[in-house]
Amino acid sequence: MRPTTSSPAIIAEVRGLTKHYAGVHALTDAELTIRAGEVRALLGRNGAGKSTVIRLLSGVENADEGTVHIDGRELGDGGVRRATELGVQTVHQELSLVPQLSVAENMFLGVWPRAGGRVDYAAMRRKTQSVLDDLGLRMDADSLVGDLPLAEQQLVEIARAVRRSPRLLILDEPTSALAAGEVAIVLDTVRRIAETGVAVIYVSHRLDEIRQVASSATVMRDGRVIDTVELTEASTEHVVSLMIGDAVRSVERPDRRRVARDVTPLLTVTGLSVPPKVDDVSFDVYPGEVLGIAGLMGAGRTEILRAISGFAPGTAGEVSVEGRRVSTVTPSAMKKLGIGMTPEDRKGTGIVPLLGVDENITIANYDAVRTGTTIRWNRLRDAAEQIIDKLSIATARADTPIVNLSGGNQQKAVIGRWLHAGSRILLLDEPTRGVDVQAKEEIYGLVRELADQGASVVFVSGELEELPLVCDRVIVLRHGRIVDEMMGDRLTTDSVIAAAMTTD
Amino acid sequence: MTTTTQAAETPRRTRTLPAHRLNEIGLVVAIVLLYVVLGLSAAGFLSLDNQLGMLRDAATIGIAAWGVTLVIIAGEIDISIGPAVAFSSVLVALGSSKWGLGLAGAIVLTLVVGTAAGALAGWLRAEFGVPTFIGTLGLWSVFGGLGLYLTDALPVVLPENGFLDVMGGSILGIPTAALVMVVLLLVFVYIAKYTSYGRSVYAIGGNAAAAELAGINLKRVRVILFATTGLLAAITGILLAARLGAGSGSAASGLEFDVIAAVVIGGTALAGGRGSLLGTFLGVIFITVIGNGLVLLGVNSFLQDVIRGIIIVGAVLVNVWAGRRSNTTRTS
Repeated sequence: MRPTTSSPAIIAEVRGLTKHYAGVHALTDAELTIRAGEVRALLGRNGAGKSTVIRLLSGVENADEGTVHIDGRELGDGGVRRATELGVQTVHQELSLVPQLSVAENMFLGVWPRAGGRVDYAAMRRKTQSVLDDLGLRMDADSLVGDLPLAEQQLVEIARAVRRSPRLLILDEPTSALAAGEVAIVLDTVRRIAETGVAVIYVSHRLDEIRQVASSATVMRDGRVIDTVELTEASTEHVVSLMIGDAVRSVERPDRRRVARDVTPLLTVTGLSVPPKVDDVSFDVYPGEVLGIAGLMGAGRTEILRAISGFAPGTAGEVSVEGRRVSTVTPSAMKKLGIGMTPEDRKGTGIVPLLGVDENITIANYDAVRTGTTIRWNRLRDAAEQIIDKLSIATARADTPIVNLSGGNQQKAVIGRWLHAGSRILLLDEPTRGVDVQAKEEIYGLVRELADQGASVVFVSGELEELPLVCDRVIVLRHGRIVDEMMGDRLTTDSVIAAAMTTD
Repeated sequence: MTTTTQAAETPRRTRTLPAHRLNEIGLVVAIVLLYVVLGLSAAGFLSLDNQLGMLRDAATIGIAAWGVTLVIIAGEIDISIGPAVAFSSVLVALGSSKWGLGLAGAIVLTLVVGTAAGALAGWLRAEFGVPTFIGTLGLWSVFGGLGLYLTDALPVVLPENGFLDVMGGSILGIPTAALVMVVLLLVFVYIAKYTSYGRSVYAIGGNAAAAELAGINLKRVRVILFATTGLLAAITGILLAARLGAGSGSAASGLEFDVIAAVVIGGTALAGGRGSLLGTFLGVIFITVIGNGLVLLGVNSFLQDVIRGIIIVGAVLVNVWAGRRSNTTRTS
């Protein structure tokens, strides 16, 4: 931001920090120094160690070796309570709000103000409103958090952390679920917070946002801190090369694929309506085609996929597979027809955390790994290892609990589940959300490869820049309706973003 | 290519065991210790008669515990076991005596009613989302009341029958009930590990939403889970009636708690998603040995409950502590 003549005080000092989980060196010998008023970006691929650093700094887990000092005082093994005492506040990637309580009650979760032995709702409301006002957020302190759109919930989470007047504020991917308009507010807020002397750690995969808000960046790779660079001096290529290591791959637009559109589409959706989100949506997907659905959060993308796969059928509309209309759309019927869906909420509805990677992969099709009713575990492991190899899933063993894997590898396993099940119509809902650069490219390559083999893939994404990199055709969804369709030369990042975000 | 993330060396020499193995080893050690202590202090503990008697007692808990293990792994609970067993003993007794169905008919009736009632509780959960605590609480109350109502709270004597004698007695010196328990244990071990139904139970307990998206039929599994415990409770009731020679509406009082305690001590988490039948087996033995030991030591029967409660909580405490230490899985 701006160097002062005398160096601002050191807020966070990390020396020799090390943490292992069974078989995985999550963090080795990390060193960090962050000063008051500094916004330090924390960059790295998934699995690089960023989440581990955050968990150790916020006291959620204890380090195996090394020290953490906040404002000169040692964190030790005191846990979250001690970290909070020292002034560390974290806004995690996954929200930790209670949906059934109001904004005000969530802001004061666990520390509700009391007057005369009772909860003082008036004071709570007042203080909440003032924090929201300070941050320029227009929100009703009494609205139930569960009723708010995801983006506003994220802002409540940040406001809650700020209310505790932290010395060190850690933001873990605060904008990954937000639309363009809200991103600006978050960046604004972060700058404002830093100006008051708070040290900020900002974890994100979005370099352009980071440049707007951070002065320096610490790059991690394979559980180690590689380097800390001044963002004004470091080029994007340099930062990416630090993150990836040996090979710097510039992301180029791959060659256009040839898709035959004079045959019967593999999937046809006609007049689908899922009130209140989706209104009269129709599209085809041809064999070997990757169809992108572009839209911001709330546009209705997930609802369309859930309707097609039978989990939340619409009130109107038809789905046809290979030209044949499906009379009753149920999950088992659509699965039998070869439809497989990967959800956008990987942790909540994608993985079974305590089961191994092998079981998570084979869960959609046991027939392939059993004789009669008996599961043959050697066949199950073989089948899983085939997928693990094919998708380059990084895991210590095939039966490692999937929760131990990084986000990108978990996502690959969830996609791999439908490969194992032999699906030929894949519905991928935000498959690269929370996934690092390298894994993203691998997923793009995988999607195109599956299409080459004749599958139809529907690729939903709110990260609009990635759609031209992997899709043959993109339909744009806005407020539940298809407003545009692009392919060939017309399919560029700019045109997709413009179409998705233009206000009527 | 599979990238192994530096799995080759771990800094500590000894690899940490997964939590459930630690727990099982701990239980084996505890049981051995119990045998040593009770063998020395309780008169007749090590006698053949007592050991066989313990096996029979274990069966009363164990048979239902196999089913309840799967129920708890799936994230549900079944608190109806005690009254279900009692009611089943009443049904088989009434059926074969007062209602004139003959022994075979009475047994079939009992098994069918038990399975159907369980399936009802499972269906209420599957179709309407009625929590299984409430569903099985309803069964607990209904069975308890019906059992006493139909018998006027008096035991109903079973007719003399050779088959019943075997059921309530022994085969080749081993209590029949214990044989049934072991056979069923093997069946359930197979189900849990080698069938897609069994794996679905683990998946649903671990993340029901993800299991559903992967194509698992939640409703079907939930109904089957409780139909199974209903069936197992009915079997236990029939075996109990055979042994006592009568059906009683007040039999097996509090059995549901012993069953759940055995399952939880064995390492199955009440939160669901993990657990093992081997663990439950050790838990059943642990609880049976303690119960038997307290009786032989002449402890006042009310104090027995006090001591059992303390031991059960202590065992689970140790279990949880061992789980924390093990740390092979990320906590978030």
